[in-house]
Amino acid sequence: MPISVNTFWTILLIIHGLLAVALLGALTHQAVSVLMPVRQAVGPGGFVTRFRAVNGAGYATAICVLWVLTFIMGAWIYTKYRIYVRIPIEQAGYWKTQGFFDLKEHVATLGLLTLPAYWYLWKNAQKAEYDGARKALTVLIAAMCWFLFLVGHVLNNVRGFGS
Amino acid sequence: MITTTATTGRARPSTSSLAASAKFKTFVVAFGISAPVMYAICVLWNLPLFTFHPATNRIAWGWEAARSGEGPAMYWYGWTATVIIVAATLGLIATTLPQSITRKIPLVLVWLLPLLAIPIMIYTLMPFWTHP
Repeated sequence: MPISVNTFWTILLIIHGLLAVALLGALTHQAVSVLMPVRQAVGPGGFVTRFRAVNGAGYATAICVLWVLTFIMGAWIYTKYRIYVRIPIEQAGYWKTQGFFDLKEHVATLGLLTLPAYWYLWKNAQKAEYDGARKALTVLIAAMCWFLFLVGHVLNNVRGFGS
Repeated sequence: MITTTATTGRARPSTSSLAASAKFKTFVVAFGISAPVMYAICVLWNLPLFTFHPATNRIAWGWEAARSGEGPAMYWYGWTATVIIVAATLGLIATTLPQSITRKIPLVLVWLLPLLAIPIMIYTLMPFWTHP
């Protein structure tokens, strides 16, 4: 059954969004686990304790894969966004909104470029000398991911595909 | 109830040979340091490997201005490609250096330089922030 062009791009946007949600969740768990590590719980903890009690190292490869997949989907959608979303946003005079989108593309790339070091540091999480860099890099890319997610969400509200 | 034994963030040693490789460590650190610097240079001096014209699906090598009647030109893909190639090359070159040198590269730079690149990117977007 053929689908319309609008539906096709909307499906891609939804996949991009779902991948971003998974990435955001994984990175938030991991960042909280390094910022507020749980010491060995003997009894059941509360929600916050369980939230930060994850084994961060187990998330590293999944986070790298999710970042790359989300990046590829975003880069694909961007080809249509540039014409069908960005131009109307500029015509409407939403310059700061557009500025934030351009900042989003820069931050997404800067995050992508940190992934090899991020993966290496987490795969060697047993080495105490890497703790500082591993924690700082994890918190940095988690903050980047939140920024990317929120800007993408707001932009979709301003003018999503099919609007 | 909480004891004092830390359990998270300290994983068992990785079984991956890549993660245990000193040369791979040198590569990722050199890549991680050079990539944000190269990205800032590519954006500031506009050095895309290629230019993509989305309205016509045309790709041109290097930087090319948007053509009249052919819609906008996109450089972000080209900047990203330039950075990945240059940073990977620098990372590979770094692996040929003796460990006595590569061990001295401060790990703090792998997160500090991407962080410092963000205000530079904000600065490059000044026309959007100051547009009346």
